[in-house]
Amino acid sequence: MTAISDRRQLAYIAAQAADARVNVELEAEGMTLNIGPQHPATHGTLRIVARLDGEQVVEANPVMGYMHRGYEKLAEVRTYPQVTALINRIDWLGSFANEVPFILACEQLMGIEAPPRAQHIRTILFEMARIANITLFLGDMGVQLGAVTPIFYAFRDREHILNQIESATGGRFHPNFDRIGGLKDDLPAGWIEETKRSLREIHKFCDQMDDLIIGNEIFQARTRNIGVIPPDVALSYGLSGPNLRASGVDWDLRRDSPAGLAYDQVDWRVWTHPDGDSFARYWVRLQETRESCKIVEQLLDSIPAGPIMAKVPRIIKVPEGEAFVETENPLGVMGYYVVSQGGLEPFRVKIRSASFSNMSISPWLLKGAYVPDVITILASLYFILGDIDR
Amino acid sequence: MGLVPGLITGLGVTFKEIIKTVTTGAETVQYPHEKEDPPPRARGVIALHQENCTACMLCVRECPDWCIFIEGHKTLAPPRRTGGKPRTVNALDRFDIDYGLCMYCGICVEVCPFDAIFWSPEYEYSEPRIADLLHDKTRLSQWMETVPEYESYEAGSAAKVKKVPRP
Repeated sequence: MTAISDRRQLAYIAAQAADARVNVELEAEGMTLNIGPQHPATHGTLRIVARLDGEQVVEANPVMGYMHRGYEKLAEVRTYPQVTALINRIDWLGSFANEVPFILACEQLMGIEAPPRAQHIRTILFEMARIANITLFLGDMGVQLGAVTPIFYAFRDREHILNQIESATGGRFHPNFDRIGGLKDDLPAGWIEETKRSLREIHKFCDQMDDLIIGNEIFQARTRNIGVIPPDVALSYGLSGPNLRASGVDWDLRRDSPAGLAYDQVDWRVWTHPDGDSFARYWVRLQETRESCKIVEQLLDSIPAGPIMAKVPRIIKVPEGEAFVETENPLGVMGYYVVSQGGLEPFRVKIRSASFSNMSISPWLLKGAYVPDVITILASLYFILGDIDR
Repeated sequence: MGLVPGLITGLGVTFKEIIKTVTTGAETVQYPHEKEDPPPRARGVIALHQENCTACMLCVRECPDWCIFIEGHKTLAPPRRTGGKPRTVNALDRFDIDYGLCMYCGICVEVCPFDAIFWSPEYEYSEPRIADLLHDKTRLSQWMETVPEYESYEAGSAAKVKKVPRP
């Protein structure tokens, strides 16, 4: 009996002490705000510990790793064809784009090149993955600011692209279509016409977003001059993709190193914006979606005839060596460093994912921001949790 | 700011969409009442053509999450020609796929050298108990009638259209 009452007393004392601590904390200058791990604005499980002074953020630290699935280690006990099925799940909105750099790295190690038809179709699906990914961002950014309409339009029009990806590859989200030396299968009949129709829907969607969001005064007031990243800071933090181009740095791997893909055969341009604020990041992504539609439309008209698979042994053994290939994925630069010891499985796979580097600027960027702007800035950086934690 | 404020332009977009939805109907497929029609290549469920399976275990070995279970034994089959020796063949005792583990990558269908497993776009096989997601060979063979024919390819393709074996 005495033990229980002792415990009660101890609990009472502890509660008193906790109260006192809370009081002291409230009297203190700062306050710690936990955003996440379960927060709708973080699209997954990301936690941001923000130290506040009134309405201003003094210090913000992202806590990553809640969704770590260990793909780098899992890849070491899977054969090369099995790895592509896994890495689909890294950036889950543009899955096909994850496969491309890994396959290109393996092809580089094996010294084979995919036939031109395969490279062409690969580029088409790569760009369609980009459209499917960024379309959702274009709607999602509105939701973070309190506008609910755009996300419904985004989901509706993304479905046109996903349906096309599904009818070509068999999977809406996880295509697993890229193979070392080519592609799994050729395109089904009538696919090109259907895809052109779905791209017209995306063009319409982009025009709608122009009217709904870009021109909206509230959106501009919430995003202009908010979260400004100067070009030198962006480069020093290793930002890539649209986030970097929104800071005015003209750098796109699709144009600069299109090896293994068919970007050099089409007429397109890289969009940049000089401002570097949240608005610029939205604007650049909107223009990029249009540009991707243009790339796909041009590529669809000029698919070369021929096989889709190079001569590859049935059991794939990658010769000893190491290769690093990076491509311009929807979220930024994604690279795979593959080390092979000549066996059936890779010895080591290191994944450089775009969101991880894009996220690393957040302590610098959120310092001095106001609490309502934290969500805007994070949304405009556009990370995907699977891409951060892998 | 242009002649018309952006807010009004945005409302115009929403209004046009309302008119479109009212006149032509919503895009949403009301699932239990109407069903979406997945394309023939969709990876819904794996169907087994038992006659073609030789229990070679290639799919079991290639599966990334080891969700296929095969057991077989050797038996004697009657000779192909009269007067010939009886042949040894592998008989299939067990062919289970655990859909609770399967990640629908399609590697097993791709590696099968005898065309014994196929993708079917059927997707309605959820179960209240997770153990019931293990489909045995009779259940897997029943999916065979839902397997669509292979589609023909887009112009310029060098690939040949394969045929689905029918009983």
